[in-house]
Amino acid sequence: MSELERELPGPTPATTDDPTHSPDGVDLTLIRWMLSLSPAERLRAAQSMARAIVRIRGAGVRT
Amino acid sequence: MPACEPDFFRLLEVLGRHGVDYILVGGLCAVLQGVPLSTLDMDIVHLRTAENLDRLLGALQELQAVYRHHAEQRLAPDRSHLASAGHQLLQTAAGPLDVLGTIGKARGYAELIDQTQEIEIEGCRLRLLTLEELIRTTEEAGRDKDQASLPLLRQALLLQQTRRPP
Repeated sequence: MSELERELPGPTPATTDDPTHSPDGVDLTLIRWMLSLSPAERLRAAQSMARAIVRIRGAGVRT
Repeated sequence: MPACEPDFFRLLEVLGRHGVDYILVGGLCAVLQGVPLSTLDMDIVHLRTAENLDRLLGALQELQAVYRHHAEQRLAPDRSHLASAGHQLLQTAAGPLDVLGTIGKARGYAELIDQTQEIEIEGCRLRLLTLEELIRTTEEAGRDKDQASLPLLRQALLLQQTRRPP
């Protein structure tokens, strides 16, 4: 389980009439999940994502 | 932690502790309003008064800010840089920080302040550009990399506006 998964609540279940994507292909389930979080939780998600990207990039450079 | 690893909480804490007046814009501003973007830096538009430049310089010194494109020379921004309408792209001890005099069609703190909202995160108060205004400035900037995020920003705004109460 990742650091992010431990810290943040899971996605809110969508109702059957909630579309999963917009007509131009945007994943609406991710937006609904982000909107269900508090600003502090959103900041933690961004922090965790940024650190993961930097670490993966660093790992790529070393190999 | 490596110097390049972003620490958004620390950036916000240091700016807040120094009393810097700024508006959070860019990707992190979008994320805080529910847009599922990934971003590695923090973008702010600062109030360019003499007093606020002093506070900002103090915060940037504490964060050991230097220009990213002159990182090996450790070139730090000075008051005249921060007083300009230009973009100061900095590397700090808490990750990349872009200090922007203006965004979009040359709009600075004074022009943007009425399109902001204040939030508090772990005792730290910060001012965000609204999603509507973020979309408008992104459209104005016209840069390809930013344009790619527009469908996501627009859908987030739509869902935010039509969201059912819990």
